[in-house]
Formats: sequence, C-alpha cells, structure tokens
Amino acid sequence: MLIYTVKRFFEMIIVFFLFLIISYLLFNAIPGNAFSSLLLNPLLPPETYQRTIELFGLDKPLFERVQLYIINFFKGDFGYSYIYYPRSPIEVIAERLPRTLMLFSIVNVIAFYSGFLVGKVLAWRRGSKSETWITIGSVFSYTVFYPWFALMMLWFFGYKMNWFPLGKFLVPEKWYDSPYSSDEIFYTLILFTTIGSFLLFLVFIFTRNIESLENRRNARIVGLLFLLVLASIYWSNGEASLKRFYAADIAFHMILPTFTVTLVAFAGTALLTRTTMMEVLKDDYILTARAKGLSQKRIRDRHAARTALLPVVTSFIFTIITIIDGSVLTESIFSWPGMGQLILEAVTREDIPLAMASFSFIGILALIAHFIADVSYAFLDPRIRVKADS
Amino acid sequence: MSKALLEVKNLSMHYDTMEGNVDAVKNISFEVNSGESFGLVGESGCGKTSVAMTLLQLQPDNSVITQGSIKLDGKELIGLSENDLRKVRWDSISIVFQGAMNAWNPVIKIGEQIREAMREHYPENTKQENMNKIIELFRMVGLDESTTDRYPHELSGGMKQRAVIALALSCDPKIIIADEPTTALDVVIQDQILNEIKKVQDLLGLSLIYISHDIAVIAEMTDKIAVMYAGSIVEMGPTKDVFKNPIHSYTRALLDSTPSIRGEKKKLKSLDGEPPSLINKIEGCSFAPRCPNRDTECNPSEHMRLVEVNPDHFADICSQGK
Repeated sequence: MLIYTVKRFFEMIIVFFLFLIISYLLFNAIPGNAFSSLLLNPLLPPETYQRTIELFGLDKPLFERVQLYIINFFKGDFGYSYIYYPRSPIEVIAERLPRTLMLFSIVNVIAFYSGFLVGKVLAWRRGSKSETWITIGSVFSYTVFYPWFALMMLWFFGYKMNWFPLGKFLVPEKWYDSPYSSDEIFYTLILFTTIGSFLLFLVFIFTRNIESLENRRNARIVGLLFLLVLASIYWSNGEASLKRFYAADIAFHMILPTFTVTLVAFAGTALLTRTTMMEVLKDDYILTARAKGLSQKRIRDRHAARTALLPVVTSFIFTIITIIDGSVLTESIFSWPGMGQLILEAVTREDIPLAMASFSFIGILALIAHFIADVSYAFLDPRIRVKADS
Repeated sequence: MSKALLEVKNLSMHYDTMEGNVDAVKNISFEVNSGESFGLVGESGCGKTSVAMTLLQLQPDNSVITQGSIKLDGKELIGLSENDLRKVRWDSISIVFQGAMNAWNPVIKIGEQIREAMREHYPENTKQENMNKIIELFRMVGLDESTTDRYPHELSGGMKQRAVIALALSCDPKIIIADEPTTALDVVIQDQILNEIKKVQDLLGLSLIYISHDIAVIAEMTDKIAVMYAGSIVEMGPTKDVFKNPIHSYTRALLDSTPSIRGEKKKLKSLDGEPPSLINKIEGCSFAPRCPNRDTECNPSEHMRLVEVNPDHFADICSQGK
C-alpha cells in the first residue's frame, strides 16, 4: 500500500513537470507574443519594465525561457498581474480559489453521494414505475444543455419565484459596516465544513466495530446529533456568533448554484451506479447473501452497492476535472467570483502571468484529485492493493 | 420411523420465459430424516439445482411454484414472507453453492462475511464469541485461523470451498444442501472436501442433501439417493439398494457409464441422444426416446409415477412391465 502510494506520487510529479512545460509552450504559441503585451503599456515604470523582461527571460531563446519559468514557478514568482497590477497572481488566486473550492467541493460531495444513493435504489427497484420515471429524469438532466438549464433555474427560482438571489456571492449592503472581510468568513466556513466532515468520518470509523447492527446504527445517529449540537454551540458563541450573520449570507447565495450544478452532475453518477449495480446483482455472492438470510437493505448496501462503487469512483475522478472546467460556465452565469471567472478574464484580456498561474493551480488541483482517487481506489478494492504491492 | 426433518411433497415448479414455460421440477416428493444424507443425482439441466433453490425459496423471480409443499420440522416454507424466510435461511437450512469461487464477495474479508450471517441470526452474540466460533469451524474444516483476515482472492479454490463449508455451518443449521460443491476443484482437493463434509456431518449430526451429477461421489456420500431425469425423480431408495439393484433404465444407464474399480473390466456405455428440452410439454415417459429398453414391455405413453418396488425403494412405473 505504501509502495503503491509512493509510486503514484512520483508519477504525479513527472506528469506535473510535463504539464508545466506544455502549458508554457501553449501560451508561447499565442499569436502576437502575449508575454510582451505588458511592455507595450506606456505608463509602465521603467524598473517594472526591466523586471518583467528579466523574470520571463524575454530576451533569451525559448529553451532557457522554459527553464526560467519552471524555476520561477518553484520560487512562487509569477510576476505581476496585468489586470490587477500591483498585485501578484498568487494574491489574486489566494482570494478566488477558496470561493471556487468551497462551492465545488460541496457540489461534488452532494452530487456523488446523491447520485450513488439514487442509482442504488434504481437498480434495486428495476422494472418499477418509479424506476422508469427517475431514470428518464436522470437522462434528461445528464444530457441537458447546461448553460440553458442554469439560466432557466436562475430565471425560475431567482426571478419568477424570487426565492434566491440572482447571482453574486453576497449582498453588498449587508457588508458595508462589516468588521470582517468576505475572505475571512470564507476561511471560517471552509474550516468549519472540513472539521465537521472529519468528525463525521471519525464517528463512522469508531462505530465500525460495534457487532450488533442495531447498536451501530443508533451509535451513529447519536454521533450525528452530537455533532449537530456541537455545531450550533460553535455558531452561537464567541466570535463565531458575530460571523454567523455574514456566513449565512454567503451560504444563502450558495444554494442555487449548488442545487443547479448538483442536478446536472448527479445524473451521471446515478446512471452509472444503476448500470454497474444491475451487473453486480447477477453475481453469485448476492445469492449467497440472500441465502444467509441477510436483510434486503443490507444485501443492497453492503454487498451490491459496495462492489458497484468501484467503477463509479473511477468515473468520479473524471467528473472532478470537468467540474473545474465547468466552473467557468457556472461562475459566469451565477456571477460567482471564483477561479472560473478569473481564468476567463485572464485569458480574454491576455493577462498571461495570471492565466498561467491559475492554470498551474488547476493543474495541481486536478493532479491531487487524481492522486486521492487512485489511493482511495486501492483502499476500496483489496484486489488492486495486492497488485500494487507486488 | 421418526418423523422426517424435511418433507417435500408433490413439488412442481416452472420458469416463465419468453419462449414458454420451462418445467424444471415436476411433481417431486422426498423426505430427509435428521442425521441422514440424501443424494440427488442426474444429468446437467435436469432440475437438481432448481430443487435446491426451491428448498431455500431462493428461486429466480420468473419461477412459479404450481403445487406442492416443503415442510421443514413440520413448518411449511412455501408462501412464507421474505422476513420469515430470512429466519429459516442459514439458521435451519444452509447451502454450499456450486462454484465457491463466486460465492464470496470480493471486497469483504472472509471472517466478516461469516460474522455477518451470525450477526443476523444471533444478534446477542459478542464479536469475540462469533470469532471463537469461526476459528473453531475453521479448525474443523482444516483452515488456519488467519484466514478470517483474508480477502477471497487471497485464497486458493480449495480453501475457498472449505471456508464456504465453515460459512454453511456458522449458524448451526439442521440441514445443509451441498450443490455440486466440488465441481470446480481438481480430484485430490475434491476428495479432501468430500471427506471434510462427511466428517463435519458425522460430528455435528446434520442432515445433508448432496446434489451432484457424479454418481460415484453420491455413492460414497449418501444413505439415500434419488435419481432425477428431466425434472422428475425416476428412482429413489437406499443408496445400497439402488446401486445393487437398479430398476429404472435410466439409473442403469447412469451406472453403466461409470467405471468401477472392483469387478471385471467392461466397456463403458454411453446413452444416445440428449436430455429433452424442458420447454416442450412432454407427454408420457420423458425418457422413452432415449430408453435402451423402450421396445420391451413398457408403455411410453404412460405418465411417470413412482411405485414402491422394494421396501423404501421406489421406481418409475415405466419399468414395471419387466
């Protein structure tokens, strides 16, 4: 298991270097020498002019420029953003990245979990009326033209029903005299979500060894309630009680985008789970499980769904990447100021340092996602674990 | 005679398929007493496994039981709700499936898969009690106790089959159905597994229903035997009697096709033709088209019906003329 992980890690590093080189060459190929477009600005102070030439090695041949770029990357030096001039790309990304991560990690988790749950039940109820209709619905949301669908959702829930705000991630009026910046609130939210999920995970791990199924379920319910109580205590005490108002504002703005993207993203998982699980249900060990006198629910969840999970996880890896790409569309439609909008802005306005920095970050994120998925795949399937070790 | 533990009476079952009804089990009756081992032998596709599945009420969704009853300890199994059946399964009847390779879920540890069944039937047991029991069973079937922590793919075919036997014993069933438990194994392992089953059966005083196409194995394993052909039982009786004095032409053909170690050398005979497709309704004797003795005195238009020829030894009416 350890050897496998280390091997994967080194592979990842090689892929990352390739990624850096190729992305540099691509930007280099943009017509009109995008790297020097900043230099055309007559207002540029001479020392910045000099520094830009030095940083990108604009007076050197291509090979040395690539080298320089990689070295600069590891120094964390991307120069200056052209649009947000004196700020560096890193500063801009540090502000935008949490917003995207927050929105899309929540979407991903909900979409994956609900898709898996729905697919599981669909396969189990094969042939029933509800199965037919939900499958048709899933196929619709899987194949729908996304920008149109997102706009329709915005029009219906935002404009017609007036339940949710039309875009943006906060109401500026509420924040005029706010003691906190929106970033601070975001960090608090992210920290809260992460710790909450981790504690929930711990509850599940610790209740694993309870032998009686009923006691195990009850212990989990108690754990969940306990966590909910903890959460409410956290938000009603100390500094958090002041932040609560602002956090709620952001959370409220997140509902509609989350809901929309989830609706589109969950269908793929649901349909795939349905198909793989129907295959698994034909296997002999399902018959064994029935012969053992296990309950229907347990056969479905523990035996069928658990094995059907493997291909679903694989497809999930690819969904992670498309969701980062898709964030360009989503963030434009819901005017969510995250990475997607930033990339669009940087590319259309030829802000090369910012564009390259954000592409590298997305590359890193994608690689990390792949890495986690690979390792968790080995964790899920003991057969892969053995192959990986030998 | 004491009351039978398992009593199957006039059981008929067919599969409802697109092409029509497949009569897999036709009017079958037999009894298994406690501690007895009962053999069910016949060609592939003659309905042996369908009988086994019906005993556990695990038959596929498209099957229809048209008549008959299955009584276990006097309790009727047909028509029980899924929840009531769950209590009977494994607790009273357990099964060793054909092909142990696929009987294990590939992503769950062996020990956990056995404990899962025990948790269902003995919810009050602690983990330690369950583990002790599993280790004891593993010792009985000749497995190391570390096997509990292994995944199915880490075990050889023979080990998996031994573990399946341990699994079948985990909830102290009264009857074990062994459905061709040795088909996927080589001869040496086959013999070990058979000995293991026999040993365990004697040790725990279980009833055993042994299903196989291999009449030699059946001879070794069972006290009582039923020969199946095309969904019906054509001959049934104490194993010794049936082997010594086979009545039905099919039983004789089956015995003639098996080599014997003792006695004179003789050429093995094989039976011409194929077993009939069960999808067509068969009028009269289903064995008649292949019967080597069909032109003697029997009457092929007569329906199959078991008649007691010797004490406890039943055979199909077709052979009565002789």
